[in-house]
Amino acid sequence: MMPAWLASGLVYASGLSLTAGGITLLYITTRTFNFAHASMATWGFYVVYTGTVLYGGTPYRWLPLAFLFGALLGVICYLALNRLLLYRQANTITLMMSTLGYDLVLLSFIQMYCDYLTYSLKLFPRRVTMSVFDIELFGTSGASIILPLTAVAVLTLLHLFITRTKFGTAMRATIENSLLAGASGINSDWVYMMSWIIGGGMASLGGAFMAMAMTGTPVLGMTTIPFMFAGAILGGLHSLYGGILGGFVVGLAEYAGVYFLAAQAGSWVLGYRMAIPLLIMAITLIAFPQGLAGAWAPMVSRLRGLRRRGVGA
Amino acid sequence: MLSVRNLNAGYGKLQVLFDVSLEVPAKGITVVVGPNGAGKTTLLNSIMGNATVFSGDVVFEGANIQGILPYRAARMGISYVPQMGNVFADLTVMENLHMAGYMLSSGEVKDKAAQVTDMFPVLKKFLHRKAGTLSGGERRMLAIGMGLMRKPKLMLLDELSTDLAPIIAKRVIAEVARLRDELGITILLVEQMAKRALEIGDTAYLLVSGDIRYEGKAADLLNDPELARLYLGIKEA
Repeated sequence: MMPAWLASGLVYASGLSLTAGGITLLYITTRTFNFAHASMATWGFYVVYTGTVLYGGTPYRWLPLAFLFGALLGVICYLALNRLLLYRQANTITLMMSTLGYDLVLLSFIQMYCDYLTYSLKLFPRRVTMSVFDIELFGTSGASIILPLTAVAVLTLLHLFITRTKFGTAMRATIENSLLAGASGINSDWVYMMSWIIGGGMASLGGAFMAMAMTGTPVLGMTTIPFMFAGAILGGLHSLYGGILGGFVVGLAEYAGVYFLAAQAGSWVLGYRMAIPLLIMAITLIAFPQGLAGAWAPMVSRLRGLRRRGVGA
Repeated sequence: MLSVRNLNAGYGKLQVLFDVSLEVPAKGITVVVGPNGAGKTTLLNSIMGNATVFSGDVVFEGANIQGILPYRAARMGISYVPQMGNVFADLTVMENLHMAGYMLSSGEVKDKAAQVTDMFPVLKKFLHRKAGTLSGGERRMLAIGMGLMRKPKLMLLDELSTDLAPIIAKRVIAEVARLRDELGITILLVEQMAKRALEIGDTAYLLVSGDIRYEGKAADLLNDPELARLYLGIKEA
């Protein structure tokens, strides 16, 4: 049987890797640090909560809907805000602040939605333990097996999309050189829109995952957004795969750190649980200022060099 | 084929071009030469919609395309090969060719890629290598090949010979003449290495500090000792 800290840690880290990957994707395509990721993640949790409570079944049934809802929020953000600012060649700060405004709007709607659930449907949506709806698999929580596998499946699909399809290659081309992509006839508008669809979807899916490991509240996204950004920064900010890995490391570090440090130093460590992943991020960045992507790039090229020499020999 | 009329353009609030007018006749090579910082690249960026146009017109095949989005210009048949960042370094050579032919059907992309690799056989060896690993000359060949993938009516070529060894630069410029002679493509060539460009050009413009100082036959500009000495760094034989 899986230890409890590892089971919860895997669920939380899977969610964080999706959200950090989404943040990185939006940054490398549209230069936008998306603060609205916070409320997009919270909406993902509420979509799954609503579906599970009102229509029954396991929470996993509602994950595709959470992704689609997040994608819709992403499209709205792009069309109503980001697109206009990109056309006006707004700087990174303006782009970032606009998403903070959008986040506050989404948060207001979350509060209104919670009021509706509370007063009209007589539910208790402001402190939710989603794990009560979970199922047991192989003697452990279903979430600790299903959600990491789902994250791997989603990320594999994303990898195949951006490496094997024409539009995915166009996305990579636009990320690298948007001027040349435009000169090649690629409409960057569609590329940016697709980034918001995928980024928004990943945010909401990640939020729904995280709610299976922690208490679901209207500020679930607000409390976890520093770690989403920490994951993206740890990944190197310019690499999608780096962001995904960074999110996973930050997420798992929080649970592992608390567990092992509390065992050694006592329960007072629990009060500092949020500092642990940020400390790990700081230490990693001191060792690898370019983030995890910057650390593995030389390793990959060294391996390729070895392989080439091997073939030549 | 292309007319630029009284163009005032630049970047943001900075004006680089002042009342620039030029004509690019079909199936010929029009060369724009001038010293560094004269506004040659800005001229091409203005045509492609990558610069800020304050006033003036850019007319392509009878349609005013001033302020057009770059991808629309590309879809109209204008193929821009920039001086810097003219290949996708992180994509393979094959992916670069596919991206350059983004608006073509898969069958057309295949045919065009075969045509391009026949024209530049050196690329055949590197189809699955990342473009960032190619040498300067190979990259330039790939960039021209990508320009050709777009089935262009008009090619805008920016400083193709810059940073290349003289022998490679000569070969690249010779390829440009081939595009006109064998494929009948209209070319607007911007070059700082004026002599070689003027040798293959039909019409020429001399751009200095955002102003057109000469327009006429390329050969005449090459043979004007005063202008050639003052602005093009060409010494009399």
